[in-house]
Amino acid sequence: MSVQNINVALIGNPNTGKTSVFNQLTGLNQQVGNYPGITVEKKIGFCKLPNNIKANILDLPGTYSLNASSMDESVVIELLLNKNDKLYPDVAVVVTDVENLKRNLLIYTQIKDLEIPTILVINMSDRMERKGISLDIPYLEEKLKTKIALVSSRKGLGIEELKELIVSYKNITHEPCLNASVIDPEYFEKLKHAFPNQLMYKLWLVITQDVNFSNLDRNEVRSTFTKSHSELKRLQQKETIKRYQFINDVLKEGLKVDASLAKDIRAKLDRVLTHKVWGYFIFFAILFLIFQSIFSWSTIPMDFIDSTFASLSSWVAEELPSGILTDLLSQGIIPGIGGVIIFIPQIAFLFLFISILEESGYMSRVVFLMDKIMRRFGLSGKSVVPLISGTACAIPAIMATRNIENWKERLITILVTPFTTCSARLPVYAIIISLVVPSKRIFGFLNVQGLTLMALYVLGFFAAILSAYILNKVLKLESKTYFVVEMPSYKMPLLKNVGINVVEKTKAFIVGAGKIILAISVILWFLASYGPGKEFNDAENIVKERFANTTLDETQFENEVNSQKLENSYIGLMGRAIEPAIQPLGYDWKIGIALISSFAAREVFVGTLATIYSVGDTDNESTIKSKMQAEVRPDTGKKVFDFATGISLLLFYAFAMQCASTLAITKKETNSWKWPAMQLVFMSALAYFTALIAYQLLK
Amino acid sequence: MIQEIIAFTILGIAVAFLVKKYFFKSKKKKDCGDGNCGCS
Repeated sequence: MSVQNINVALIGNPNTGKTSVFNQLTGLNQQVGNYPGITVEKKIGFCKLPNNIKANILDLPGTYSLNASSMDESVVIELLLNKNDKLYPDVAVVVTDVENLKRNLLIYTQIKDLEIPTILVINMSDRMERKGISLDIPYLEEKLKTKIALVSSRKGLGIEELKELIVSYKNITHEPCLNASVIDPEYFEKLKHAFPNQLMYKLWLVITQDVNFSNLDRNEVRSTFTKSHSELKRLQQKETIKRYQFINDVLKEGLKVDASLAKDIRAKLDRVLTHKVWGYFIFFAILFLIFQSIFSWSTIPMDFIDSTFASLSSWVAEELPSGILTDLLSQGIIPGIGGVIIFIPQIAFLFLFISILEESGYMSRVVFLMDKIMRRFGLSGKSVVPLISGTACAIPAIMATRNIENWKERLITILVTPFTTCSARLPVYAIIISLVVPSKRIFGFLNVQGLTLMALYVLGFFAAILSAYILNKVLKLESKTYFVVEMPSYKMPLLKNVGINVVEKTKAFIVGAGKIILAISVILWFLASYGPGKEFNDAENIVKERFANTTLDETQFENEVNSQKLENSYIGLMGRAIEPAIQPLGYDWKIGIALISSFAAREVFVGTLATIYSVGDTDNESTIKSKMQAEVRPDTGKKVFDFATGISLLLFYAFAMQCASTLAITKKETNSWKWPAMQLVFMSALAYFTALIAYQLLK
Repeated sequence: MIQEIIAFTILGIAVAFLVKKYFFKSKKKKDCGDGNCGCS
């Protein structure tokens, strides 16, 4: 009886134990070489099977799908599309990891659709008990239209069964998993008509993949059936979604994971951290600790920075020759820059905690937990990532929505992400909270200021999901995307990674914001130091006339002149022009100027106030906080930053779209001015009316 | 006099910087999907 040679291709995602299976099948009968012309390693082994069959086992490079994005992946596709290749497989063996079956099955369904006889190997079966996993093999075989080998390549279990399945590969059906025409029925109908003898899915790969093969005239196919790059991408995404829908449906019945039966530490931790009650409780406890720490630990370095800048202003004013440049430095530039540097400790602590949560693997559990809430509000599970990364900056967060396939879900996520409390809001919150919320503790350990900060973060999050709920109803979502999140194992955060992350993100914030604040501080100082007309230029005589019957000492007189000048400066006139609109919110014209200038970026608010309060201030040694604390309303003599105004400001900044860069990125991502305009109007109106109601109720 | 020249030059630079940043944004060739876009 002659020996029958067959080709067996081992295919699978990286880290599924494919090479271990290869080693188990071939032993030492291996040859290692390179694919012609490229440096991708080619491993071929030989295996004697029953019935006088000799199998050439080809260990192909690990690949996630047949959508080639690397040379390794191209090698796999080229082989599978080219029947003339001497290594073209008689049977494909797709190796999967029992813990990541959902993701691993994507490539299986693609290979099956090429109508190559395919055996499914579910590897690492020895871990099933520990993980509480059970599989309904007959059900999976029926739905996936294949034969399954349950294998533990590390322990050598199931290898003989796999060999038997390879021997009887001819019994495996060629039936595909997904009918390719569902990707775009009209388009595939035309394809079928033009190439009646070709496999639809193969044609689709020819059109979408930039790979070489010999038995089809690719130029002919592509020139007749070409589509724009973006349209092809969209269809590829649609294909992936359809495949995951199929996989989800199959695994819903065929794979059961009972976390309560799992025995390893990761599973035990996951059982608690993703628990439907304890999971949320722990998450909020961690958030609570973070915000308490941000306030408690940053106090000392912040006070140090604040007093250092105050001393620097004073030193510059005293030591440099008097003149316009000295005033610009001491009253404009130094207080303005101090207004952003002071927040380095709080921002660094925030990023430190976020980095630790990300590095430890806990953040993925948070994404998983929050997905359950998101779905109730019509958002995709994938929306969690932009909403969480929005705590740093809305701009990369909006860019991160690109992985949401469904356009409407993506649009909603883009529109609501700016509600998430970004790091630019932190300086505003921090200074206002420290002014109007008492620094006391309740129950001996709960810092009220920290609690207020946490409440503002939670408020931003709920504003985002409630807005999403409204938008979901208005925009009428028709379909949803599937949410796939890979849970990384828990690990001790690497100090180096955390350190780099904190430094990079804090630097990006300080450098980015610092340049804008510096420029705005300079302009504001000029606008506050010059003014039109007699009221400004003749300020001294006007004050003399006003206080003709009162005795003022030199300092009092100087303060009155400075006050008269500031009110009649260019910025004073602008501020007073908008005062009627903002007075019902509890703001004076100086706060109004800060609101306008902070439209460019929220963090400019504190720097603006620091500059405005510094112009003409005779006491250069005052800190930003003490200047704001000392500010009184001229008509009533009451403090400007009282509780009612403070809460009104906090709510205004929680909801207002005070960021020109976010509007620009929304325009770029939606390719329309309509959506950023809507974002601006909705958020501004919400901010104005919430602040108005809060002030009117609390004053 | 020298102080005025320097101060008004700084003002000019500040105005030019903001105008360039918000009205004449340079188009980046590559996007920065990983979030490291250096935005403030």
